Amino acid sequence: MSKVATTAVGTVPRVEAVAPPARRWYVDVWVQMVLRKPLGTLGAVIVLLMLLAAVFADVVSPYAYAQTSLRERFVSMNASHWLGTDQLGRDLLTRLMYGARISLYVGFGAVALGSVLATLVGVLSAYFGGRADLWMQRGVDAWMAFPPLLLLMSIMSLLGPSAGNITLVLGAAFGIQNSRIIRAVALSVKELTYVESARALGGGHVRITVGHILPNVLPTIIVVATTGLSTVILTEASLSFLGLGVPPPYPTWGGMLSLAGLDHMYQAPWLAIWPAVALSLAVFGFNMLGDALRDLLDPRLKGG
Amino acid sequence: MKRYVLRRVALALPTLFFVSVIVFAMMRMMPGDVVTRMVEGHAYAPTLDALRKDLGLDRPMYVQYADWIGGILTRGDFGRSYWTRQPIIDEFLRRFPVTLELALLTIVVSVVIGVGVGIVSAARQDTVSDYTGRVLAILALSVPYFGLAVLVVVLPSIWFKWTPVWTYVSFTTDPLENLKIMAVPALVFGVTRAGPIMRIMRSALLDVLRQEYIRTAWSKGLSERRIILRHALKNALIPVISLIGLQMPLYIGGSVIIEAIFRLPGVGLFFFEALGKLDYPVVQSVNLIIAAMVVGLNLLIDLSYAFLDPRIRYR
Repeated sequence: MSKVATTAVGTVPRVEAVAPPARRWYVDVWVQMVLRKPLGTLGAVIVLLMLLAAVFADVVSPYAYAQTSLRERFVSMNASHWLGTDQLGRDLLTRLMYGARISLYVGFGAVALGSVLATLVGVLSAYFGGRADLWMQRGVDAWMAFPPLLLLMSIMSLLGPSAGNITLVLGAAFGIQNSRIIRAVALSVKELTYVESARALGGGHVRITVGHILPNVLPTIIVVATTGLSTVILTEASLSFLGLGVPPPYPTWGGMLSLAGLDHMYQAPWLAIWPAVALSLAVFGFNMLGDALRDLLDPRLKGG
Repeated sequence: MKRYVLRRVALALPTLFFVSVIVFAMMRMMPGDVVTRMVEGHAYAPTLDALRKDLGLDRPMYVQYADWIGGILTRGDFGRSYWTRQPIIDEFLRRFPVTLELALLTIVVSVVIGVGVGIVSAARQDTVSDYTGRVLAILALSVPYFGLAVLVVVLPSIWFKWTPVWTYVSFTTDPLENLKIMAVPALVFGVTRAGPIMRIMRSALLDVLRQEYIRTAWSKGLSERRIILRHALKNALIPVISLIGLQMPLYIGGSVIIEAIFRLPGVGLFFFEALGKLDYPVVQSVNLIIAAMVVGLNLLIDLSYAFLDPRIRYR
């Protein structure tokens, strides 16, 4: 076993000798990003700023997110309230920074959860094939037949709005949807000769799926996860917009834009403008970063 | 061809079965608070148990499922709303034209913008117009449609004292007035959906323009306009059409929010209001009807490909 495996691995350094990697691949990706992908770099900067704002919200801002001040209602932009205040005199910039926490928490949480689920369903479905694959895929078909928003709204209204629930639900939806892509890649990896030889050597299911198929599916998983982040953040915002996300008084970008506050926006248009700008910037940032990472990591998946 | 059609239909049936199980199971996980709310808040029945019996919730689960599916398959009966006791299918059909019109207008807007910009972008690759088009597409992808909708409702009323029309008039009573009402929502929704169409149109057209029959067309001395519009566009449109087919659920899902913002009495608003009142039969049946429509639509698209391209039938 080990002898043959060494020979199989032994062919790899010859390929590397042609173009020796100067750095580890995860460092190299970022160097390439800065050198070749200006839009991707811009996206990374936006995402980084958003992260900093979210992490240091309570350090940077002199206000609390739910701190009301009835003497300062609907104050427009000034030195003490950079982006103005809302109908209860709460500082808009502070609320946006805390709102970034929810977007990132739900975004990363749901994508992490969903990636694990997608990998599990995709790899198992592809590896075992046959009847198990057929039924699993009909289940995925059924899930994908629903307009995502309708299904998510129904489930959220059943579970009740909370940060944990929305992460769980968005993660499940993300996982089921993307299991298709993982399955397709796993199917093609499964047919490669080295998987066959691993099986001929008596490798068990766990050894083959975890040791041989998974490492080759990993770049696709990373790409699916990064390009999916913006969609998850946008979906979280639409659910919060409809009042099915994280409940007030905790601020979310979708919730700040929502219909419930529409009457106040006529008096204070910045209440509509800034959350919309923040959300667009975040989605733009994650989109650009995801696209660039996809180009650098997995050119096969390059879309329109 | 006949075998292919049969096989595709046979594959759609288990999907539909799973669809019905998903919505049904979801609704049975409900906490009992709708019954509580109906009895305690609105006195729909003397006791909780009486109302449960009245709504048929005291029966075993498989009986409820069989009853629901049986009613749909044998009588076209999708159940009744808990609150109004009206048949769901009647209300659905009354409201469906609004949602369908919104979806069609949105598709028209996004196709006109997306295909138009996509053509210019591909024909003038790597020029200023190409970059402008691509930046616009990225922007359209980034702006959330509900955010744009809120801005369109709020800002013009402050700056220009202009507000969208709120009272809905159906197309059959006054087509012109109806289109005036639908124009703003369809434009807002369509613009934000034009991004992906533009991107796929651009890459598909670039692909086609490099093929040999296009070179032949050039060497025949045809004008650029004729080559692009008559020869290349037809082939480049195929991926665009399948993208629109794939995105149908997004158009319908998004209409919930658009209808809620612009107060259009469509299926989306019906669904949203039913959710707010925990009216589960409505939520369940509307989900089922729309998912079934999507499955049927995908089946039609698949069959039309097989019809257009004989190679697919033998795969």
